[in-house]
Amino acid sequence: MIPLQMSVDPNLYVALSAVMFFIGVLGVVLRRNPLITLMSIELMWNAANLSFMAYSRAWLNNAGHIFTFLVITVAAAEAAIGLAIVVILFRPHQQSNVDDVVLLKG
Amino acid sequence: MESSVNSWPLIVWLLPIAGAVAIWVFGPQLRRLAGPLATAVLGAAFVGTLALWPAVAAQPGGVHSTMYTWAPGITVGLLVDRLAFIWMTIITGVGFLIHLYSIGYMEGDRVEARFFSYLNFFIFAMLTLVMADNFVFLLVGWGLVGLASFWLIGFWTERAAAVEAARKAFVMNVVGDIGIMLAIFALFATFGSLSYADVFAKAAQGPGAIMTLIALGLLAGACAKSAQVPLHTWLPDAMEGPTPVSALIHAATMVTAGVYLVARCWPIFQHAPGAMETVGVVGAVTALAGAVLGMVQWDIKRVLAYSTMSQIGYMIMGVGVGAYSAGVLHFYTHAFFKACLFLASGIIIHGLAGEQDMRKMGGLAARMPVAFWSMLAATCAIIGVPLFSGWVSKDAVVYQTLAHGHPVLWAIGVLAAAVTAYYMSRMMWITFAGSFRGDEHAHGHGHVPAWVMGLPVALLGAGSVVIGWLNWPHEGFAEFLAPVFGGTDVAPAAAWGGEFLSTQIPLFLALLVGAGIAYLQYGTTAALAGAPRRLEHEAVRQPAFVVHLYYWNELLDALFVTPARALAALCARVVDPKLIDAVLVRDVAMDVGVFGLLVRRWQSGLVRAYALTLLCGAAAIIVYFAVVR
Repeated sequence: MIPLQMSVDPNLYVALSAVMFFIGVLGVVLRRNPLITLMSIELMWNAANLSFMAYSRAWLNNAGHIFTFLVITVAAAEAAIGLAIVVILFRPHQQSNVDDVVLLKG
Repeated sequence: MESSVNSWPLIVWLLPIAGAVAIWVFGPQLRRLAGPLATAVLGAAFVGTLALWPAVAAQPGGVHSTMYTWAPGITVGLLVDRLAFIWMTIITGVGFLIHLYSIGYMEGDRVEARFFSYLNFFIFAMLTLVMADNFVFLLVGWGLVGLASFWLIGFWTERAAAVEAARKAFVMNVVGDIGIMLAIFALFATFGSLSYADVFAKAAQGPGAIMTLIALGLLAGACAKSAQVPLHTWLPDAMEGPTPVSALIHAATMVTAGVYLVARCWPIFQHAPGAMETVGVVGAVTALAGAVLGMVQWDIKRVLAYSTMSQIGYMIMGVGVGAYSAGVLHFYTHAFFKACLFLASGIIIHGLAGEQDMRKMGGLAARMPVAFWSMLAATCAIIGVPLFSGWVSKDAVVYQTLAHGHPVLWAIGVLAAAVTAYYMSRMMWITFAGSFRGDEHAHGHGHVPAWVMGLPVALLGAGSVVIGWLNWPHEGFAEFLAPVFGGTDVAPAAAWGGEFLSTQIPLFLALLVGAGIAYLQYGTTAALAGAPRRLEHEAVRQPAFVVHLYYWNELLDALFVTPARALAALCARVVDPKLIDAVLVRDVAMDVGVFGLLVRRWQSGLVRAYALTLLCGAAAIIVYFAVVR
């Protein structure tokens, strides 16, 4: 194993990442405001980024950095589409609730 | 076999397909130019074929060009040896004359361009068949000529009989195709290769039983394509097609593919004596059976159709006894005189506004001199008047049967020659002698043949006289083909009395007897004077067994067509509604529907529910990998 080169225990980073991720999950599952849903998704992205960076530092491997950039790019694109959807949801009734959107009900 | 990069065969091979595609695509624009263009393409192909001669003559193995390797042992290549060269000269040369003739014959047809496109396509397919250097390619050409034949027999789609005949020809030919296909499978399993060179080099090592089966498979293909007994019934029906088609496909070229196949695969047949014997017998039976059927026909094209069947029987008999070059020689002369006969009959039919019944003809010698003189020359050739081309080749075939030790086949050959002399003379006298028995009014609507129709007929008529002289000095043809057959077709010993006593004299006597009986029946002054009534009377008295073509169609119907129809009816009544529709279609659809009803509740449309499902799925995967494994 490559020796650790970090002043802070990487397990702490991973734990923080897990906490962030589950906060995001709860936000998506429990909240009905689409803006909050989007922000929760961003939180999950960043939780993933954090663990990428932590492991990257811990193992001295730059692949994690590269993946982080990739994630940020995709997240930006996703945010653009997500915000567009939010705007469309908001327009008809001047309010928005993800549970009102059930056109795809089987 | 040396592999020289000779692109000349490729050009000859691809010219007709280029013409076919061009005429197909630009047909509406070309209009009357379609015919001349197709003819020019054939002329170029003929010149190209002749230009190949020095190369072919220089290399005993033939000009061989490999294009690419498709799979181990299966290459796509062209082989032009002396045997293929002979066929190519007929395909492109006689094909050129028939194209020229078609310009006149098809004038004013609604879809003239399509006709010439099909004709060019046929030439391409036939060239594929004879220029192939392996069995797969051969089968491709074999199938494509069948397709072209199907298109052209049924060319006049508004005639129900033509469509029916086209379908019949196609189906019966597929029977033969399957025989060849099975033979090819067996060849590949035995020799591991399908190129002619490999297979023929190893033919001697093949186990006898397998070789016999392979040869019989090939024979099935030859029987179907060359209208040999028992698969002969499609050929007379195929006369529903336009007359140039009958001349090109159903007389000169395609129907002789069976002869080509046996001659090409001689090393296989050489090692399958039983199959070889069968080939000879099939040819002899067909030669006689076809000739007898020709005696009772009234439709001029049907007389010629049965005559074709009979003459191909001679060729098959020739190659079947091992006298390959004699069989090929008869193909060569036959291509000239039979094409001439068909094209001349086309002039008559054209001149009488579509009339094909000989009882409504008569006295046409003066009205249609080109047709008469050409047809006379070709008739003299086919019945074997000395010095005419058919005399040379038929003589060779019949003599070789005796020299190869088949006296029974020799006897059948002589007998069939007498019958041939009878029905051909009968046709000549009924058609050209006496006085006109048809409707003068209808005759007024007929066409006078243009030079494009007269010239090919006259040239082919001249060819019917002289082309047999190629065999001189004596057996010149066998010497020409010696590099192909390696001298195997030379008879072990001369037959009793030599060719003159054993064959020429009997054949000449047969000719005199046949033509003499026909003369007494149709040619005397008394016969000609009472012709109209006599012919009607005779039509009633003909033996029913022969008039109904030995009830062969009925037999095939009873054995195959009726059971197939019954099976189809059964499928339509039971299998289709009870199995396919009910179990395989309706029940499956219903099961899927019920399943859908059950799981549709899941599809709530709520995004958050989907997210939860996703989460549970991800959790399950993690648990599986972290805990279970």
